[in-house]
Amino acid sequence: MVAAPLPGRYPSRVLSNSTKPPVQANRTERASRKKGRTPIALFAIPAAIVAVIVVLILVLSGGADIPILGGNGEDDEVPAFDFNVKKASAVATVGDADLAALTASAEQTSQDITPTIDDLFTNAFLDPTNWREGDYEEVFEAFAEDAVPAAQQSVETLTLGATAGDLFEDVEPDKGSLAYDVLFDPEANPDTAVVTFHFVAVGERKDGTFVKLVSDGQFFLRDIDGWTITAFDVTRSDRETQPPTPSPSASPSSS
Amino acid sequence: MTIAPRRRACVLAALLVAWVAGSVLGATRPAERAAAAPLFQIEPAHAEFAPVLDGSQPIFVLVIGSDARPDQPVESQRADSLHILTINPARHKATIVGIPRDAYVELPGSGQNKINTALFFGGPDLVVATVEQLTGLTFDYWAMTGFAGFEAMIDGVEGLVVDVPFAMDDQASRAFFEPGVQRLAGNDALAFGRNRHDLPAGDFGRSENQGLLMVSALGQFKKEYTKDPSRMLIWVGSFLSNVQTSLPLDELMTLAFTGTAINQNAVTNVVFPGGTGMVGGLSVVQLDQTALATISSDLADDGLLKKKNIPPSPNASLTSGE
Repeated sequence: MVAAPLPGRYPSRVLSNSTKPPVQANRTERASRKKGRTPIALFAIPAAIVAVIVVLILVLSGGADIPILGGNGEDDEVPAFDFNVKKASAVATVGDADLAALTASAEQTSQDITPTIDDLFTNAFLDPTNWREGDYEEVFEAFAEDAVPAAQQSVETLTLGATAGDLFEDVEPDKGSLAYDVLFDPEANPDTAVVTFHFVAVGERKDGTFVKLVSDGQFFLRDIDGWTITAFDVTRSDRETQPPTPSPSASPSSS
Repeated sequence: MTIAPRRRACVLAALLVAWVAGSVLGATRPAERAAAAPLFQIEPAHAEFAPVLDGSQPIFVLVIGSDARPDQPVESQRADSLHILTINPARHKATIVGIPRDAYVELPGSGQNKINTALFFGGPDLVVATVEQLTGLTFDYWAMTGFAGFEAMIDGVEGLVVDVPFAMDDQASRAFFEPGVQRLAGNDALAFGRNRHDLPAGDFGRSENQGLLMVSALGQFKKEYTKDPSRMLIWVGSFLSNVQTSLPLDELMTLAFTGTAINQNAVTNVVFPGGTGMVGGLSVVQLDQTALATISSDLADDGLLKKKNIPPSPNASLTSGE
């Protein structure tokens, strides 16, 4: 006869499917086992003492966060951020161009490109997974093939930096604006867009001080299987700043 | 099966120690790295990339100025302004060589005539063929404009800053300038480029001044681009809106980026030398054949002129104060 498995709470066969009754040791056996048993306190107390000492050392030395239950204590949530598009201007290459139509097309082009720029700055400055590891491969996906080597060489200017994970505890967006100039070919197709950007974020260092991260410049983009950056001119002018003051009405994403 | 209490105690203790050790290591690792890493340096940083051409192969462009008035078709008038523009991308240098409009030359398929008539007889293609036959050079592109296009192009970039080399007072062209750096509107730039009556070398001097306008444009373009790269679109847009050219837009953009790497003082501006004469009642220019051959062959290899092959400036007597 095959015993039907008992409905159990636990998936472990040891705990839920066993049909054998527990072996009852006799007094002699129990005494024998008890004689060789090491008390739990013998292991637990030293471990607890070690833990307390280490925690004290960390706290007194102003060290890193004390993780709970083995976690690293870091928040990997990506702050929401969207640039504010201030203008989109059209530049014609024919004398009798319909400027109103081109301007409308330039605005559409700006809408097509802006998500790329949003993603670029999010990946470059705001995504903790990227800056903690110093891995900005996603940033370079926005660049045309010819521009990638130069972008990679400029990683410290274009991103939070390869060692940002060692320096920063948190980075939050402050504000960002874009202005577009779109050059149209003689057939009124958008050919080249120049995006003038202003981006500000606030980084909290591990020592509790704050730095305002400021990036200004221009990206030239062309529609090569999607809008990609073919040229860039970027200036960083970071500076020390005070801790941000909480404001219930402040927009976290743009200005 | 049960776990013996002793083993359970060992396992628990081991887990506890591992947890504490793991937590401690996990917590201290970043702090140790931060202590070992250099401090965050706050200082301005700059990064740029432009898709400039950097090959050693020179680029040859024939710049054609038609004497078409505002109501006339540009391509069927006379080419009263002709310049060879060569760019050496690798060396970030350029050369401008003016061709006197009255140069008496062989027009392919049309016999001997003044070079400016090539445009009338065969449009820009015949002008290119004529200059190619004259110099032995092969042109990559041509660009052409008339009076109205030239003015509008200059106005489209909000004027041209020119260091006028000497005073001008010419009623025919309406060129009235004091020497010195000044911003010329489109009509003033046209007047500056048209003036020949108060120049000792006449059309030779005028051709050099037209080259000076191009050099000034390059310098201003570079300056504006450096300050605000988006200005490139304004320049390209103004150029294409007022010029007929064989340059496709994408190649023009690449050429424009390449132009940003050329310094104004790295451009050599000369005019083919020659003398005036009469042929069949026509007042013509007979080009100095030795200089023509020397300059042409010198340009052919790298687009640049060796110092020893640079001819005297036709405006030398004015700029030297003589």
